[in-house]
Amino acid sequence: MVAIAIFIICLAGIPGAAQNTVPRTPDGKPNLNGIWQVLNTAAWDIQDHGGALGVPPGLGVVEGNEIPYQPQAAAKKQQNFAKRQTGDPTEANCFLPGVPRATYMPYPFEMVQTPDSLAIRYEFAHALRLIPMNGKHAEGIPTTWMGDSRGRWEGDTLVIDVTNFNDETWFDRAGNFHSDALHVVERYTMTDPNHILYEATIEDPKVFTRSWKMSMPLYRHVEKTARLLEYECVFYLQEERYKNAPFK
Amino acid sequence: MRHSNSAALLIGIVLFSTAVFAQSPKHLADGQPNMQGMYTRTGVKGLEAEPPFNPIDPGQSNPLSVSNREDGLGPYPRIFGQGGNVLRGGQQRAQRPLGIIFPADKKLPWRPEEDAKRRQFLLDMNPVKDLRHVELNSRCALPGLFEGEDGNNPYTIFQPAGKVVITYDYNHTSRVIDLDRREHLSKSIRLFMGDSIGHWEGSTLIVDTTNYNGRIAYSREIPYLSEDLHTTERFAIVDDNTIEYEVTIDDPKLFTGPWKVAGLFSRAAKGVDSLEFACAEGSQTLRNIFGR
Repeated sequence: MVAIAIFIICLAGIPGAAQNTVPRTPDGKPNLNGIWQVLNTAAWDIQDHGGALGVPPGLGVVEGNEIPYQPQAAAKKQQNFAKRQTGDPTEANCFLPGVPRATYMPYPFEMVQTPDSLAIRYEFAHALRLIPMNGKHAEGIPTTWMGDSRGRWEGDTLVIDVTNFNDETWFDRAGNFHSDALHVVERYTMTDPNHILYEATIEDPKVFTRSWKMSMPLYRHVEKTARLLEYECVFYLQEERYKNAPFK
Repeated sequence: MRHSNSAALLIGIVLFSTAVFAQSPKHLADGQPNMQGMYTRTGVKGLEAEPPFNPIDPGQSNPLSVSNREDGLGPYPRIFGQGGNVLRGGQQRAQRPLGIIFPADKKLPWRPEEDAKRRQFLLDMNPVKDLRHVELNSRCALPGLFEGEDGNNPYTIFQPAGKVVITYDYNHTSRVIDLDRREHLSKSIRLFMGDSIGHWEGSTLIVDTTNYNGRIAYSREIPYLSEDLHTTERFAIVDDNTIEYEVTIDDPKLFTGPWKVAGLFSRAAKGVDSLEFACAEGSQTLRNIFGR
């Protein structure tokens, strides 16, 4: 009887253990610590696209494959696409990629999870997000490239609400864009020890006619040696741009 | 009766398991002493004895300075210091020497030819001779362990199992100290932040870092350290609000022996929030220097 009771309690002491096998932190939440990366081509174009020189073809990550632009915004997207070689803030200028683009850049990122707050370190341009849990959004601060992030748990899903963006970042190299009214809700749901289902709901009443959603799996770097290195994009760009530059 | 005994046992085990899994304030579940939270740091920028004049140093007594200007358009716009203004209300406990503590006379053991090279390098920084002589911070690269941590920007310590992660508000920098690794990366991997391996001795974290890339600065007077740099840091938890910091800088290419710097981490006042520090996104420094 006692043995059975202990067995039952051992299960109960690890919430959700009966439901799935995802790793847990000591406070019973899914343990997202580790190095993750997408295996898709969303960085080039979040919608379905064929191949081109330097552009791997890929199926999109937008649910339904349609982005509900308002008419003027659709025209701007086409302009962005035409000037993407020099106009993409992230690829052409090495600026911070914003959210959710940071997630699906073709570089790994590291989640650092504690009960009170979370950090996400991105290899690309050493982008960084600090995400307090259960807090309120900051008020009266300047807009930002990576947004103001607040996390919470809904069951076993980490939900991050992101606001306070500037209008400077694009969603991809194809010129998909947003305004400073962007509101992103990210959902990270671990489906097994080495995969996370990543979903991002996009709202921006200045640019889109309705909210829309991206989703994609995140894959854990399972190598024991896995770690983030440094991709100092702007430093390399400067080396190219100013190597033999004449002085002003 | 048996039933109620079992129920009592159940409750007892529930309470026990909760206690085991809950984070104690002093130690984390993986046994690490707990120093998580936001801090500011002071002391690590101590000047050496007889420092060279530096054309980009805003010191008022510096005859070469061109950045001590009222218009805020020197290499560092004024807004860069605002984090420090916010945090100066935090607790500080400077009861021990800070800055360079070894050698005691603060005369760094420069190899004479390397000191001469360093002094010439500084003169070539303003007007800037070429891209190599642009101050690293102005290039918005990762700052390494020293620059950018001069007390004006808070940083936050996270301790997931087996690691210590330190994030700086300054230029959204972060570093990871692995506690479960013995060997450094191969010398083919060179990093601004180096490759850090740590271990705890009581309540002191000791961090060994190599694999630097030869591009990071110690300060404006020491504008580069070499690829041979090897640092040993000690983070000693003194109380809930204080970490005493010491770093031994061993760079045999530039110096004949190691030297040591002491600093102090003070926990930030409650309510201090982290703000984004975008750098390359708004910097006009290189445009101003190179005209495009």
